[in-house]
Formats: sequence, structure tokens, C-alpha cells
Amino acid sequence: MARVGVFVCHCGENIAGTVDVAAVAKAALDMPGVVHAVDYKYMCSDPGQTLLKDAIKEKKLDGVVVAACSPRMHEPTFRRAAEEAGINPFLCEMANLREHCSWVHDKGAATTEKAIDLVRLQVEKVKRDRPLQPIRVPITKKALVLGGGIAGIQAALDIANSGNPVLLVEKSPSIGGHMSQLSETFPTLDCSQCILTPRMVEVARHPLITLYTYSELEKLDGFIGNFKATIRRKARKIDEKLCNGCGVCQQKCPVKKIPDEFNEGLSFRPAIYVPFPQAVPNKPVIDVKNCTYYKTGKCKACEKLCPTKAIRFDQEDIVEVHDVGAVVLATGFKTMPVGNFSEYGYGKLKDVIDGMKFERLASASGPTGGAIRRPSDGKEPQHVVFIACAGSRDRLKGVPYCSKVCCMYTAKHAMLYRHKVHGGQATVFYMDIRSAGKNYDEFVRRAIEEDGVKYVRGRVSRVYEEDGQLVVKGADTLLGAEPVEIRADMVVLATAVQAQNDAEELAQKLHVSYDPYKFFAEAHPKLRPVETNTAGVFLAGACQAPRDIPETVAQASGAAVKVAGLFSQPTLTREPIIAVVDRQPPPVFSSCVGCFLCKSACPYQAIEEEVIKNRNGDVLKVVAKVNPGLCQGCGTCVSTCRTKAIDLEGFSNEQVFAELMCI
Amino acid sequence: MEALQTKAKELLAAGTVQVAIGYGKGTGNARRPLFVTKPERAADLIVDAACTQNLATYLTKHEVRVMGRMAVVAVPSTLRSILQLAAEKQIREEQVLALAVIDGQVRELATFEAIEEAVATIPDAMSEADRNMIDKLSAMSVPERRAFWADELVRCVKCYACRASCPMCYCERCTTDVNRPQWIPVASHAVGNLEYHVMRAMHLAGRCVECGTCGKACPVGIPVHLLTIYAEDSVRRQFGQRGGASAKLDYAMSTFKPDDKEEFIR
Ligand SMILES: Cc1cc2nc3c(=O)[nH]c(=O)nc-3n(C[C@H](O)[C@H](O)[C@H](O)COP(=O)(O)OP(=O)(O)OC[C@H]3O[C@@H](n4cnc5c(N)ncnc54)[C@H](O)[C@@H]3O)c2cc1C
Ligand code: SF4
Ligand code: SF4
Ligand code: SF4
Ligand code: SF4
Repeated sequence: MARVGVFVCHCGENIAGTVDVAAVAKAALDMPGVVHAVDYKYMCSDPGQTLLKDAIKEKKLDGVVVAACSPRMHEPTFRRAAEEAGINPFLCEMANLREHCSWVHDKGAATTEKAIDLVRLQVEKVKRDRPLQPIRVPITKKALVLGGGIAGIQAALDIANSGNPVLLVEKSPSIGGHMSQLSETFPTLDCSQCILTPRMVEVARHPLITLYTYSELEKLDGFIGNFKATIRRKARKIDEKLCNGCGVCQQKCPVKKIPDEFNEGLSFRPAIYVPFPQAVPNKPVIDVKNCTYYKTGKCKACEKLCPTKAIRFDQEDIVEVHDVGAVVLATGFKTMPVGNFSEYGYGKLKDVIDGMKFERLASASGPTGGAIRRPSDGKEPQHVVFIACAGSRDRLKGVPYCSKVCCMYTAKHAMLYRHKVHGGQATVFYMDIRSAGKNYDEFVRRAIEEDGVKYVRGRVSRVYEEDGQLVVKGADTLLGAEPVEIRADMVVLATAVQAQNDAEELAQKLHVSYDPYKFFAEAHPKLRPVETNTAGVFLAGACQAPRDIPETVAQASGAAVKVAGLFSQPTLTREPIIAVVDRQPPPVFSSCVGCFLCKSACPYQAIEEEVIKNRNGDVLKVVAKVNPGLCQGCGTCVSTCRTKAIDLEGFSNEQVFAELMCI
Repeated sequence: MEALQTKAKELLAAGTVQVAIGYGKGTGNARRPLFVTKPERAADLIVDAACTQNLATYLTKHEVRVMGRMAVVAVPSTLRSILQLAAEKQIREEQVLALAVIDGQVRELATFEAIEEAVATIPDAMSEADRNMIDKLSAMSVPERRAFWADELVRCVKCYACRASCPMCYCERCTTDVNRPQWIPVASHAVGNLEYHVMRAMHLAGRCVECGTCGKACPVGIPVHLLTIYAEDSVRRQFGQRGGASAKLDYAMSTFKPDDKEEFIR
């Protein structure tokens, strides 16, 4: 006969305020098999747990039901307590009286009645619980880092420096991300390339980092510690081993007029190109869409002139599968296209540019060598208007959030402009100046006070062209919404930071959640900011939310520590809540008929085929078998199997049936 | 008919197959399954309009299988059964050969590919009467439909002839036979009968080949096949595939495709 103990928690007022907890405990005593039932203010507290442990020992309980909050919250707590008192932890069950009852119903007899039923269900379940042993699974101690911006670079270096191998996968031909395009960086104005390129080189040289540029994740299977990542390495059409980066091909390519992505379209590149001189790896790719050979079948100029014979027109994509134990998502952001702004000319006004273009103009490695020249005629603009919050904090543009970096980079831009064009005038239109951060407000003050940037609080309603100049119409809200009209030579929009176009698709591949704006969601906004809901997948950088470099780097290091922590364990312990296929003595072997309809139902590819043979090696039967390392205990196969040959440990058919039948 | 007899005789004599499963003379005008193992008995095989039972049911029976390779006289739904059984790994190509009777012609189909080709060209063969009944049932309100089935199913005596006659009910242990826990009550009462038939229809959704054999097998005349055919019809509407279309068919109920209609999720 079972000896079940029931412990009803008040959860302070959370449960006791609505449910008559004493009545629940009293009713529990009448349930068959229950030999002990009490209520207590906080079961999760130390005295509460002691109450449970003492009762297990004194009353010789062989099963306990804690009627309290969600098992997601405290099941591990009480199972540990039960184990400490000497019973198998899986003989401890929880009835969720808080989320399932007190929080969702009003105070009253019916609510208490429901609480009693919830306890009754778990009593029936616990009586049918079997002791289970935790499952140990090995960990593949290799990390996959997706995205080679500063976030991915930092995470890869930190993981590798902790002694674990890393596969860094970058979509574009070079690592570096947005940071490689920046001129100087706030709040210190150090040159972006100077601080970034050494790290890029370190990545390339690190013995524990394998770098795959021009590559993408196709699919991710498996689970924490044991992922299988399918990576497509797009054909560069170059034998990377032979290419020495001499650059002859780029000079000889007859195609010259492709807008250069790295320079934000401010200059042109050939069809075979290295995105920028400091690129890592410093090997070109052939842009198949624009290459004359792929378009017309003739040319191959690069092939003829390449001194190392490294060009491979017939090279195909390579698809590889890699075993990894953890994934860091560091795929970054994009900015809202200027074409989205009808009020600022739909991107048709050449001298209305976005912040990234300005970065390229101000950059020593940029198309103008760092001189500020407006795109339309190459003249030095004498008056530049900067518009902050272009798209950000604007519901109509679908971006209600603050893009966080624009206030700071706008101050930086205005400052850089004033440094470079001495007589020039810089005006910033802003909504609020958000400059929280170490030395950030000082930076903005410097722009205003020392560099003479004019800040106007207000929105710009329209920008249009008149007599070869841009007319900026806005209002100064600090002067009673007085209309302001400025004639400017160039306008810089601080366009909103948005999630990458493929963010949703990628999130689905990795089974991670995302917010309404498609930024990847952290597991807990405060306490688990670098983890996702999918165990083993971590976040770094602007793919989670708009953030600047210092924050990105800090988060990347945080994610790296999580990965290193995971890899420091010898094995992973998993809950033994897994499916098991029935086995019987010969000649039946199993009630499974081997239809394998469960195989396609399993979302984790955990169902395998087991061939049962006799001594002569003749096949007697092929039946299903669950791989305990892969099974996540979702139960989908159990409901798919017509012959009920699969059962779920800890949630068996018998248990569920008994729970249903007792109410 | 002669063509069939000759074909079966040849196959048996040549040792290509060890048994030919076909129709023989039953009581009166009825036809019953006939298992021919000797070439000289091939003359007992009959094909006519009365031959409607889906003989694919016997392809999974141990007693028949041990005889060796099987030739089966196949009406269109039998062909689809073979493909569905293959998709569910219940039969291998080398175990079976179909003697398809299509428009009075006999065709020997020795590979799944050949069967697939044949199946693709055969139009939907639901009988006029069944189509009318399904339309009638679909037009009913939910309470009316429930009343109709309550009335029908109360007569069920749980003889399981429907299950035994169905080519897709090949499980060695049916859910109804599971007694720990006893999901489906053993006794034949209104609720238990409903549970049995709803369970069976669910298990056949996406797998039923719409042969109607289960309905014909029922000794008390319950049109149980309408339940499974209706379920199959719903699957076809929702997921665009029908049971028995191919030997590599994915189970509609356990696979997700991005273009699934999902009209049932609201
Ligand atoms: C105009 C402007 C000026 C700025 N100035 C400053 C400044 O002065 N100081 C400062 O601190 N911050 C500044 N920032 C912010 C800074 O750019 C970001 O904080 C930083 O780039 C974030 O790094 P990241 O690695 O998260 O993302 P990114 O730099 O966007 O890098 C992401 C990388 O992932 C790759 N990727 C994308 N998708 C995939 C995929 N599916 N698979 C593989 N790889 C993929 C991309 O190609 C890219 O290389 C500025 C931002 C803007 C827009
Ligand atoms: S950081 Fe400043 S400019 Fe950028 S969105 Fe936020 S408030 Fe607007
Ligand atoms: S466990 Fe069930 S569903 Fe899976 S192969 Fe066996 S009988 Fe089929
Ligand atoms: S359920 Fe009935 S109609 Fe469907 S395959 Fe089985 S016997 Fe044929
Ligand atoms: S054949 Fe008819 S009576 Fe027998 S179990 Fe099926 S429905 Fe019931």
C-alpha cells in the first residue's frame, strides 16, 4: 500500500489568499494512499523543505505531492529535498495550485474544490511513479558561432581561449561586421579598424578557431551538448589555398561598376573582389550574379592572369555537417533603408544619406579618404543636418523602440564633421538625447560645448530639394514649436536599427524565440540575458536588441563564459523523462509492428530502427527504439503509436489514465 | 477471367509465386477469398462484379506469408493498400506481385513503381451510394450527425469483423486489446462503441484506402467505412495527399509541410 505525503503551500498570500489551504490538506488525508498531509506558509523555504524531509523519514513516505507553484519553478527544489531524505527524486510530484488555480480564479468554494482535484490527480500519479535514474549524455566540446561581427569575433576568441574549439561561420566574404565599416567610435573616438583588425587577425590565426566565411547554417538538429549543424560553404570560385591575395584579378576584371557594399554604394567594385583591404580572409570571391563569364559564357580574364592559377569557375558549394555542443548567435542587425522615408525623399535625394554612409565618408579607408564630400557632386558640404530617431520610436514606421546607438553616433558624426570641415555648420534634430553610459553624456556635451554642434529639439517634417540645396523643414519644440527651415548641403538620417531580414527564418531553424521586431529573445530579461529558451543556444550582440560595441563585447564574453561553463562539465545530466518502446520475451519481442509512423512524428529524430535477429542472423522483426540521448520526452510518438507500444517514463499511459479517471 | 487463370497458373508453375490470393466461389452468388498454391487449381479463380473484398488484408498475415511470394488479385483499392503497406514498412517488393484487374483487363504489376503508375491513372472509385451518404452526413448539423451515429453504433456487438477485414488494421495488438490501462472499454455499450469507432477512424485518417471492406464485413450492417472514408477525405482536403498514393508516402498526421492548409486551427 502506498504511503503518500501531501504538502500544501500557502505561497504567502499567493495561494492561501484564494484557496482554503487547510481544507485542501484535510481533504487530501481522505484520498486513498495518503498517510500524511499538512499545509505550510512557504514550502520552498528552508523550514518548509525540512518539513518535507522529516515527514519522509518519520512517516516512511514512498511518494510526495507538493501542492504549490509551477513545477518549472520549484520541481528541482523539492525533488532534491526528497532525494536528500532518501527517496528517489522522481517519486516527488507537484500540483500547481498557484498558476493553475489561485491566480486564475476568484476566492470561493469552487476554487478550493479545484485545488483538491489538482492534488487528487497528483496523488494518483505519484502512486504509479517508478524510481528513475538520471541520464548522462556526452558533450561535444566544440562551439558554433554564427556571425563574424565584433560579437561573434569576441565570443569565438573567448571560447577558444578557454581551450575549446570553435567553428565561426560568417555569411559574407569577410568577418568584421558593421564595426569594420565604422570610422571612429564613440565615446573615445578611436579608429574602429585599428581596434578591430588585430582581433580579426587573431581569429584567423587562432589554432582552435576554424573560420568559415561566405558560409551559412542550413539546419540545426539535436540538442544541448549534441547538436548537428549543417553548414553550406558557398563557392568562392577560388582555391583559397593557392590564392596569395595579390589582387591582380580585381584589377583585370572588366566589370567595374558594381556598387560596393562595404562602402555603402559610395564607390564601385569589380565582379571578383575582396570586400575591403583589411578583410579576413584576404581572398577574393566571384560575384556570380555580375560576372561576365557566368552571364555570357565568355571572359575568364581573371583566370588567365592569376599568377597562382587559383580561379575555379567550376567550384560548387560544399555542404558539411559538424557536431557541436553549443551555439552562439551573433548575427547582428541592419538599418532601416532610407527608401522607407517618404518625408525625406524616399532615398531619391542623393545627399540625404544614412549613418552608415556617413561612417564611410568619414573613414580614412573610405572612398573619399576621410574627407566629407557629398555624394551628388563631391563638394564639401557647408551645412549638414543630422536627424536622429529616423524611424526609431515611431509606431507608424513599425519601430516603437529606441535604437539606442543613434544619439551617440549622431553626436560623433556631428563632431567628426566639425573636426574635418572647420567652417562648416552642424545641426542635429533630436527628440531626446539618450546618452546614459560611461563617459557618454560627457561626449555629447563636448559635441555641443566644444565643437559647436547646434542641437534643435524637434522633428523634421520634410526634406526636399530646391535650387540644388536641401530644404529641411522642422519645428523647434523648445521654442514653442516654432517652425524652423534650414538650407543644408547634406542630411544624415540616424536610421533605426532593425533585426536582420533572415532573423525569423534563422530563429526557426534554431528553435529560439524572437520578439515582435524579430530580435532574438533572451530566456529571462534580467537574470538570463545571454541564454535563449533553447538550451545550449546563446546570444551575443545586436541580434538580440540594438546595442553599441562595449555592450556587445560584454555580452559576447558573457555568452562565451556560459559556453565554457557548459563545456567544463564531463557529461550532461538529463531528466529521465523519455519515451520507451515496449519489449517482450520472444516470439513477440515487442508489441511494436515496425510501421515507423512514429519516426516522422518525432521532432528530435530520436526514433531508430532495431533489427531483431535470431542466432543464424535471420531477421525476425524490425522494431522501433528510442535513443535516450536524443529523446526530449515530448510524448508525440506516444500519441502517434496506434498499438500503444511506446510509453513515456514519468508520464505513463497508466498514470495519465488514472489521473483522468479520478475526477 | 480466363486471362487471370492463365496468368496465375503460369506464375505458380514457374515458381514466381508460391500462392495466388484471389476470389473463389462462395455460398450462392457470394465470393470468398481463395488461396491457390497449385497451378492446376488456378481454374477455380473467379473475377466478376461480385468480387469486391480487399484481399490486401491477407498480405500481412503470418500464415499466408510463410508460403512464400504472394500474387494477389487486386481491385484498385488493393493496389493502394499494397503501396500504403509498403510505406509503413509492412511489405517488401520481393514479397508481393499484383494481378490487377482494371476495366476487365488483367495486368501483372511486379514492382511498387508499376503499381504507383497504375494507381495514378485510376480515377476515384468511391461508390455512388457512399458518396451520397457522405454528402448527406456532411450536410447534417453536428447534433444530427451525432444522433445518426449514436443510432448506428449502438448496434455494434464488438465482433471486430471491421478491424479484421481492413488491410490497414494489421497491428498485432490493437488499442482495444490494451488493458493497462483499458483505454477502450471491452463491453459493447453506447459510449464504449463510440470510443472504439472514433479511435479507429483516427487511426485510419491518412492511411485508409477507401475500399469499404470494413463496412461490408459488418454483420449488423453499420456503415463504419463512412467514418474512415470521411476522415481520409478530410486529410486529403487539408494536406493534399491520400493514403496509398505511393510506397514512399509520409504519414500525413505526423509530418508538417509549410504549405499545409491548417484550416482546422482557428
Ligand atoms: C551608423 C552606426 C554607427 C555606429 N557607431 C558606433 C560607435 O561609434 N561606437 C559603438 O560602440 N557602436 C557603434 N555602432 C553600433 C555597432 O555597429 C554595433 O554595436 C556592432 O556592430 C554590433 O556588432 P554585432 O557583431 O552584434 O553585429 P554586426 O556588426 O551586424 O555583425 C553581424 C555579423 O553577422 C553576419 N551575419 C548575419 N547574418 C548571418 C547569418 N545568418 N549567418 C552567418 N553570419 C551572419 C553579418 O554578415 C555580420 O558580419 C554604430 C552603429 C551604426 C549603425
Ligand atoms: S538612441 Fe537616441 S536617436 Fe537613437 S532611437 Fe534612441 S532616442 Fe532616438
Ligand atoms: S512504436 Fe508504434 S508507431 Fe512506432 S513503429 Fe512501432 S508500432 Fe509503429
Ligand atoms: S478502414 Fe475500411 S475502407 Fe478504410 S482501408 Fe480499412 S477496410 Fe478499407
Ligand atoms: S463489424 Fe460491425 S459489429 Fe463488428 S465491431 Fe465492427 S462495427 Fe461493430
